[in-house]
Amino acid sequence: MSTPENELYPLALLMDELKHEDVANRVNAMSKIETIARALGAERTKTELLPFLTDVTQDDEDEVFSVLAEKLALFPKLLPSQADIPDLLPVCEILASMEEPIVRDNAIASLNTIAESMTDAQLTSSFVEMLDRLSNGDWFSNRVAACGLYKSVLLKLEPTEMRKNLLNLYLKLVQDEAPMVRRAAATNLPHLIDLLATTLNGTAQPDHVDWEILSAMFTSLTGDDQDSVKFLSIDVLIAILEFFTASHDASHGEELLGSAVKLIEDESWRVRYMAADRFEKIARNFDAAQVRALVPHFVALTKDNEAEVRKAVAKQLPGFALLLKDQALIISDLLPFVDELSDDPAEVVRSALASEIAGLAPILGKDATTTYLLPIYTQMLKDEFPEVRLNIISKLNIVNGVIGSTKLSNELLPSIKQLADDKQWRVRLAIIEYIPLLSEQLGVQFFDKELGLLCMSWLWDSVYSIREAAVNNLEKLSEIFGATWAKEEILSRILHADQHDATGADVPNMNNFVYRITALFALTKLIPNLTTEIVVEDILPFVNKLAKDQVPNIRFNVAKAYLVIAQMLTKTGAEVVQAQVLPNLAVLEADADVDVRFFANKSINEVKKLIAA
Amino acid sequence: MDFDSDVPMEDAVQDQLDPSLGTATAFVATESNASSNITQLDEWIDQLSKCQPLSEENVKRLCKMAIEVLQFEENVQPVAVPVTICGDVHGQFHDLMELFKIGGPCPDTNYLFMGDYVDRGYYSVETVSYLVAMKVRYPNRITILRGNHESRQITQVYGFYDECLRKYGSAVVWKLFTDLFDYFPITALVDNKIFCLHGGLSPMIETIDQVRDLNRVQEVPHEGPMCDLLWSDPDDRGGWGISPRGAGFTFGQDISEQFNHTNDLSLIARAHQLVMEGYSWSHQELVVTIFSAPNYCYRCGNQAAIMEVDENHERQFLQYDPSVRPGEPTVTRKTPDYFL
Repeated sequence: MSTPENELYPLALLMDELKHEDVANRVNAMSKIETIARALGAERTKTELLPFLTDVTQDDEDEVFSVLAEKLALFPKLLPSQADIPDLLPVCEILASMEEPIVRDNAIASLNTIAESMTDAQLTSSFVEMLDRLSNGDWFSNRVAACGLYKSVLLKLEPTEMRKNLLNLYLKLVQDEAPMVRRAAATNLPHLIDLLATTLNGTAQPDHVDWEILSAMFTSLTGDDQDSVKFLSIDVLIAILEFFTASHDASHGEELLGSAVKLIEDESWRVRYMAADRFEKIARNFDAAQVRALVPHFVALTKDNEAEVRKAVAKQLPGFALLLKDQALIISDLLPFVDELSDDPAEVVRSALASEIAGLAPILGKDATTTYLLPIYTQMLKDEFPEVRLNIISKLNIVNGVIGSTKLSNELLPSIKQLADDKQWRVRLAIIEYIPLLSEQLGVQFFDKELGLLCMSWLWDSVYSIREAAVNNLEKLSEIFGATWAKEEILSRILHADQHDATGADVPNMNNFVYRITALFALTKLIPNLTTEIVVEDILPFVNKLAKDQVPNIRFNVAKAYLVIAQMLTKTGAEVVQAQVLPNLAVLEADADVDVRFFANKSINEVKKLIAA
Repeated sequence: MDFDSDVPMEDAVQDQLDPSLGTATAFVATESNASSNITQLDEWIDQLSKCQPLSEENVKRLCKMAIEVLQFEENVQPVAVPVTICGDVHGQFHDLMELFKIGGPCPDTNYLFMGDYVDRGYYSVETVSYLVAMKVRYPNRITILRGNHESRQITQVYGFYDECLRKYGSAVVWKLFTDLFDYFPITALVDNKIFCLHGGLSPMIETIDQVRDLNRVQEVPHEGPMCDLLWSDPDDRGGWGISPRGAGFTFGQDISEQFNHTNDLSLIARAHQLVMEGYSWSHQELVVTIFSAPNYCYRCGNQAAIMEVDENHERQFLQYDPSVRPGEPTVTRKTPDYFL
């Protein structure tokens, strides 16, 4: 079918492109390497393309290497047979040893993918040999690369002796002279421990020698003189803890608690930060008495000099309290410090606390929440930093569930009213979204008295999202309180908005387009919750009037509203649809504005479908 | 000069025709032709609103459709009230979405953008694609003017070119958009009272009619009236001054007074300059600067603003802060003074 010349063509073209003087062209060519390999066929990919790519790795730019390193993951299925897969390792090894982290990381990822398609025998021979070479490499980048590859072979090596050798080799990397290597080793170690844990199946005891080597690695990391290595030992600690939890082995509990405490009290704030950030994960793997022993250390972190540490530990509060389970202890030993955190000089700390403190309410129960937590909420609702207020409000429903609405509303209503016109619109939004929940529990009378006007005033907010939320809020309220209430309390206020100045609410000006369109949105949203009578007598006349509005945006939203009206009336008021809705839509369909015509036409088609059905 | 027979003139005058029988059928024809385009555009807008760029092929189709719309707009594009007037966006896509949260979604709210959609921010491609798609979908609801950054030269220096190269692997999309920019109108006139443009006045332009006489379909020139309209700034000093930008001029209150008087204007609305509150009055409320990129370049710490003009010419400024993006670290650090 194809002449030999044609067969040569793709490779020749690729080589030309790969020698192009512009890096972008070379990168581009390299990203099409899979297509080229397919065009060449498996045999020539092995005999020609691979050697060629190995040559490329001798001399090019990092951008090209990076793409090549990534694409090599696709090659196992492009080679003639399973036996050829190890041939990929040398070129990957060169790339994995490069100093540019992006190239190295891509090559490591590809090597791990390639390892998945290798047989155990191939792994034990070629892959482990490569791992050995890299681990003992002269240059730090070889050893960094090695750290990322152990996970592919660790469990494949059945003779336990080989696994021990491998772990001992890894121990050398953990204790390497170059901090970069120790960092890479520490980063990958939790993953290796997790892998070992999967072999236990929850029953077997961890292998004694394995554990000794791991323990040596951990000890070495916690004593590292570089902060950037040492703080990674927190994740190693968690992996070890989970390893023993999985094997139901509590014999190392005390020893590990000691290690944990040492790390929590470390003199480097980055280590303390990591400990604070993962406090719950650490505590989760200890028994009840040991968790209690951690309380003073938790408290110490809430008083840390570094705001970042206090912020991290504030977020762990509900999780840790849940592990403690002891209500009296939480009240006596933790809450005083929660109170201090709520007044922290750093706003990020208060904000972090505000986002999590609601989680304490279910743990403490109704009475303790009222006594101890409500004062803190009230105080934080008055915080000068908007994010603190916002975080408190958005979690109020959790508190609500615990202490009930009457209590909460008495305590918090003044603060809520104050926040209703907060100058940050997201705070106002959070308040509005909380209203339906509140009103459901407060009942209609209390609502009308305390919140009714507030809910109407949001309709006329200057920010669109608040007006939109206000409309949705009214829809939900009319669902809760019913059609009659909606007519009396909402419709009358919107339809006769101009005459409502006596109520003292913000008086909207219907000469303004924004007010008219918002009124239209609100009414359209309410329709499904109203009766046929209300729609025909109150809403339709108002909408008909707006159909002649001078602003096209109003007119095409009227066209959309007519569809909602028709959907409501098809069953109970079909004659109104024929007499008013369709003729008015027909007028709009001949409007001067193209968008009005478009939406009118769309509504007419939908209405006709409704009638036909 | 004769009409170019390639140009379908009937589209341009379509909306002004009497809806008599003959033209009514013409409407039906064009609108049914357009309906597949509308479905396509709605899909693109949906995709872009998630900050996912269009494929190169679709950008090509979009730009072709946009030229069909924009070439018939005027140098001084008339805009009706109510309208919401916005300033520089500069590729800050998420802040553009925040803008619509504040001012309301298009097409329910009418918008007039005064240029500088690209460069500086990380999402110039998505930003300009979104605005152009909206323009083609709702030509009467949104007006997009040309800013000094809508230019081949400037975009090669300030990021749009590199972004296109990074996101598409070639300069094709950059070429498509910069070719399209030539068709953007350079000024707009809101209800005959508010003159809107990116930069400011030009010593070579005394009346708005003179703007109408310019040939705008070209790369932004280095000098001359079209350059000035996109580059000039108002200044406290009277008269014309040399602009420190190296293009355009500075103009004083006397110039604004004369221009507004000659053309019976109530206001000149323009963008082009970072203002910390998002908007800023000059020349005793004859000129307003509007800037709609909050925390400009992700570091200036400024608020953004838009100006709502209702049907009674009442104006309201809405200020806003950068959008909140979950998962992204927020930098609260104050900008050092030397940056501003």
